[in-house]
Amino acid sequence: MRPTLSLIRREFTAYFLSPIAYVVLTVFLLGTGVLYWQAVELLTERGPRGVEYPMSVILGDGGEKINFPVFWLVFLFVPPLLTMRLFAEERATGTMEMLMTSPVKDWQIVFAKFVACFAFYLLMWLPTILYLPILMDLKATFDLTAWTPFAYVLVGGLAVAVLGVLMMPFGWVGRGFLIALVGAAIAAVGAYLHCAKDSQHVVTLSAGIDPWPVLTSYIGVIAAGVMFLGLGLFVSSLVRGQMIAALISITLSVPLILPVLWMPGLDPSWWVSKGLSYITVPYHFEKDFTRGVLDTRHLVFYLSAGLLFLFLTVRSVESQRR
Amino acid sequence: MIHVENLTKYYGDYAAVRDVCFDVEKGKVVGFLGPNGAGKSTTMRILTGYLTATSGKASIDGKDVFRDAIEARRRIGYLPESNPLYSEMRVDEYLRFRGGLKGMTGRETKNRIGYVVDRCWLGDVRRQLIGTLSKGFRQRVGLADALIGNPPVLILDEPTVGLDPSQIRETRKLIKELGREHTVLLSTHILPEVEMTCDSMIIIHQGKVAAQGTLDEVRKQHQGKTLEDVFVQITGAVD
Repeated sequence: MRPTLSLIRREFTAYFLSPIAYVVLTVFLLGTGVLYWQAVELLTERGPRGVEYPMSVILGDGGEKINFPVFWLVFLFVPPLLTMRLFAEERATGTMEMLMTSPVKDWQIVFAKFVACFAFYLLMWLPTILYLPILMDLKATFDLTAWTPFAYVLVGGLAVAVLGVLMMPFGWVGRGFLIALVGAAIAAVGAYLHCAKDSQHVVTLSAGIDPWPVLTSYIGVIAAGVMFLGLGLFVSSLVRGQMIAALISITLSVPLILPVLWMPGLDPSWWVSKGLSYITVPYHFEKDFTRGVLDTRHLVFYLSAGLLFLFLTVRSVESQRR
Repeated sequence: MIHVENLTKYYGDYAAVRDVCFDVEKGKVVGFLGPNGAGKSTTMRILTGYLTATSGKASIDGKDVFRDAIEARRRIGYLPESNPLYSEMRVDEYLRFRGGLKGMTGRETKNRIGYVVDRCWLGDVRRQLIGTLSKGFRQRVGLADALIGNPPVLILDEPTVGLDPSQIRETRKLIKELGREHTVLLSTHILPEVEMTCDSMIIIHQGKVAAQGTLDEVRKQHQGKTLEDVFVQITGAVD
């Protein structure tokens, strides 16, 4: 456990020591930012034009004005850039020898590297939560006369969580994180009890636009991340050069992403286009996730492919002890 | 402490190590000698678990390096020949990472870092990026890493290569001191180094053990010649 945590911490912090991470974050936020702006434009449009599912503007085909999966063209490059250095760099500099002669099992190394890149991936998505109140047309009404003991639990938990987060930049990373976690748990319990047991509520949230498609979109994005990051990690464990790892994983991602470009022109009853519709990730988002449909076929595909790649990575690392 | 039995390693058809047997007793400093390409690094890499052997047995402190790999590795501090380090990390950051990787708690690692930094004369560069360190300092960081888990066995692959004369002298002194608490197996092809630091030696040539024993024993076996003559006689059969 402790070796794994130590590895995860190193791999995660290593992202912030290389320029790649900042480039990826910037490009990703620019891409989603432009699409968000596009979605807001469509939402506030006068007259009969507009958009039914704001998330499909971002993750689907880009709405009427763009009508092109801009997001997925950016996304094609994101996971490969995040995973390319994980093993390839260690092999190139020889530090793999230090790692493999440490008292850790091979799967711990693979797991730690995967968790680190997955955490960075989640971190990358975190700022997009700021878009959501507007995309869901969220309204909060406050009723300060409705204080109950449960509301105090909620606010107290939140305060503890904020305290924990504030401790983290001051060298109390582990403890701060733990306190934040405990605070969040208390707040969640308080929120649940306040919501379920009290008749009057301090805060009432209401969404003008259905929040369910937003939730399913995020679930889809997280599951798809498992697959693409697993693929990138596997490729990185096979080669020595970072650029080669990135190029190969981009190439291997192409059949999972780009068929969406020519799919509208194909006869949907043709077996090829049926096959493509099973593996084309943007198509899944366009048709299902961004419209609030949680199709388990896609989720099973992403997660099982991700697990398969992780398994292959462990085997590939093992095979390096010739 | 280190037990090696009929260890053989083939790279394709090429035998890098053939039927190597030796034992290293507890608390001894043993020099592992041989010309370049004799199989020193390969043997060490097998002992540390980086490579697997084609056949044979090896164990560290009674733990088989193939069957009980994790436990065996836990007992080894290893300084590889190329001494690879993460150049973007700071020295104490790196040591803390390595301590955690070896399963030590934060407090243990902290105490231990204080000790190894002292021991390896790293006090002035603790906060420096490893990438900016000179070769000598990098070698000391590698040594500090080998020591951090306080392992009973140290395996050092050419620890003095690339150092300047005064650093070489310091490093030899350190290894001799370490020999009191740890069992040390160090590889080199510098003979005076063996004479200065080691209790006994193993000469390996073309993947086979050519001579082994304490320094005096080896001299006696070869009619009282100097180690250099013994080494040349065994390995330099050109003329």
